[in-house]
Amino acid sequence: MNSDVTERGKNYRTLIHNQMKKKYRTRMAIDRIVSVVVIICLIAAIVPLVSILIEVVRNGIGVLSFQFLTQPQGSIVGGGGGIGPAIQGTIIVVGLASLIATPVGVLAGIYLSEFAGNGVFPWAVRFFNDMLTGLPSIVIGIVGYVTIVLAIGSFSVWAGALSLSIIMIPILVRVTEETLKIVPHSLREAGYALGLSKAKITMKIVLPTAKSGVLTGIVLGIARIAGETAPLIMTILGTSLFFSSLTGPVDALPLRIWRLASQPYESAHAFGWGAALVLIFMILGLNVALRLLAYKKGFAIRTEV
Amino acid sequence: MARLLDIGLDRVRNLIMDMAILARDSVNAALESYETGTMLRAQIFEYSEKLRVLQLEVADFTTELIARYQPVARDLRFIQSCMDIAYGFSRFGRYAYDIADVLETIGPIPDCDKSRVVDMAKTVKDMITLSVDSLKKLDKDTSKKLYMMDDSVDALYRSYLRLVLAPSKASYSYSEVRCFVSALLILRYLERISDHACYISDCVHYIVTADSSPRR
Amino acid sequence: MEELIREQEQEIGKPLEGIDKYKVVIRNINGWFGTKQALKNINLNVKEKTVAAFIGPSGCGKTTLIRCLNRMHEMTPGARIEGEVLVDGQDIYDRSMDPVIVKRRVGMVFQKPNPFPTMSIFDNVAAGLKLNGIKDKKLISEVVEEGLRGAALWDEVKNELEKPGMSLSGGQQQRLCIARALALQPEVLLMDEPTSALDPIASSKIEELVRVLKEHVTIIIVTHNMQQAARISDSTAFMYLGEMIEYGPTNQIFKNPEKELTERYISGIFG
Repeated sequence: MNSDVTERGKNYRTLIHNQMKKKYRTRMAIDRIVSVVVIICLIAAIVPLVSILIEVVRNGIGVLSFQFLTQPQGSIVGGGGGIGPAIQGTIIVVGLASLIATPVGVLAGIYLSEFAGNGVFPWAVRFFNDMLTGLPSIVIGIVGYVTIVLAIGSFSVWAGALSLSIIMIPILVRVTEETLKIVPHSLREAGYALGLSKAKITMKIVLPTAKSGVLTGIVLGIARIAGETAPLIMTILGTSLFFSSLTGPVDALPLRIWRLASQPYESAHAFGWGAALVLIFMILGLNVALRLLAYKKGFAIRTEV
Repeated sequence: MARLLDIGLDRVRNLIMDMAILARDSVNAALESYETGTMLRAQIFEYSEKLRVLQLEVADFTTELIARYQPVARDLRFIQSCMDIAYGFSRFGRYAYDIADVLETIGPIPDCDKSRVVDMAKTVKDMITLSVDSLKKLDKDTSKKLYMMDDSVDALYRSYLRLVLAPSKASYSYSEVRCFVSALLILRYLERISDHACYISDCVHYIVTADSSPRR
Repeated sequence: MEELIREQEQEIGKPLEGIDKYKVVIRNINGWFGTKQALKNINLNVKEKTVAAFIGPSGCGKTTLIRCLNRMHEMTPGARIEGEVLVDGQDIYDRSMDPVIVKRRVGMVFQKPNPFPTMSIFDNVAAGLKLNGIKDKKLISEVVEEGLRGAALWDEVKNELEKPGMSLSGGQQQRLCIARALALQPEVLLMDEPTSALDPIASSKIEELVRVLKEHVTIIIVTHNMQQAARISDSTAFMYLGEMIEYGPTNQIFKNPEKELTERYISGIFG
């Protein structure tokens, strides 16, 4: 008996194979088209990024010098001096903002992942958190102005740091919650079976396991706020002087870039490019430094959340 | 859907049943040789050889089933018992062969009184049939009947022995000696066959109830 | 309140008749997940320093039952339990019992080995001690060695204690988890299908281990591998659809079970 032919006389095997062959050719064609389209999109996405980088490097590299990095602004027309105060200011404000945002964001993320159920309150927290990520930074700047600047009486580092931390917190909450959720439940069970309390398990087992993800979130957050300009306009004002006090105004790179760019002088523009280059290098440097640190300690910082 | 083990169990069952038929036929042939004087030695020898080969095959195959499938409970008891039952049937063949051997050695004995042996032979043939049936149907209650028949077989053997050794018969003629010796030897073998028939029914009881021999 | 204390005292002082030779007594356990009843009226006793196995087809409730023995079942949202589980005569579900303490007396090993990924081999075994507040370093290192020896892992890792726990093979990781559980010196060890995720050689090492461990610890093991239950357990419970169908000495269950359902399951006719 011919095993290719069933009782009803239909040769399914040949029929199916023939049909699949036809489909196969169309599939191959579609595959190729899609690959090409995808690559075009990839190039379209990368080209602007690469061209920006090239522009910044091309225009800014000429201005870099030790003087540039450490001296305050000289005369506007003369073109001497540098952006020292801006660099210092960025480090201070961003650093302070991170110090404020990290504990708040990470602990909130821990709450949402480990201790919250599916009740109304956790839902509300998540909802408002998501809303906060989308809030325009200028709005946050205005809020910072009204609440802190007017309260203290002057533009200040506090105002800037607090505003920036408001931007950073929702990022951290999201990332922390997601990474903790990825930690397998079996680890928590193992902890329970050893008679450990929930708090102990969370802090000593779950969180260390999620270290790399949380650190990624922090790096992402810092990278985000280091480049924010709008809130800084309303809160730290910017100045040509070095840092004097936490309740006084201070300069920052994004702010400085903006100010330099809006001036009509060629030298100012050149400084602006230089400042942009410095800012990009600082953020890049932070990324690299943290990855090296993580590598040394034996875990990796992933590029995605 | 049948288990893989079931295929093996069916094969063992068939082997055992084949052995049962061969065993019964060889005993019948041996007894016919005695009663009618026909020479069936070659045939009986062939049966005995076949039984021996089958017994080895059963031993091998049951071991393989245990190693492969790790049976438990009733399946395991069945497989264990088949090893013993196969041995029992091979013994039937062996005794049949021994009977044929005795007959050949002693030579023709047409004038002997064969009634005792014929009587016992009938009982023993019934016992063989009963034990094989109990195996087919896995009937655990046949043992009782078989024990009674075994007791009667024992009694027959002993009474004939006493008869032969009675002091009243001081001396025997040459032909009488030949009659008595052949009858005694054959009765002995028949008594052993009856014991093995009981063992087989004990195995059946074990398969069904997990209790080993209810007597002794 | 006074009455309750007196009752308890009486119970601890004079164990219930015949129950005293049993390490674990499971009485009228009923368990639910929400409205679905997963365990129906389970009763069984486990003798001290023996191995009891729970077998049955998927979904029969054996894992649910074992998780009732160290109060892990109630940690699932919506889970509920009624009945008593006595360890050495004391009901672990008594309102005065601290669930954390129960888990130190009744340890557990899971199906998929779950060593803590951020800790070294040493730290993994010491986790139960360190994280519970024990600070005596000498004591900890002694107990860790003891635990690793008890899990038949010491010789393989004694020179590599600082290596990460995850660097071990699957079978070694499972033994690491056993060592971690043993470090707390439990009296009863629950094992939920400990060898399902392991290759045959690693599995047989664990089985050998169980045979040695039972000299010190009462072991209750859930397994879907009947031959394993037949190999290593002293008593076996067969469960089906949340009920305990039959419980008895392993020899008897596998040679001549009383219930036909049991025989059909162990002979592979269903399940």
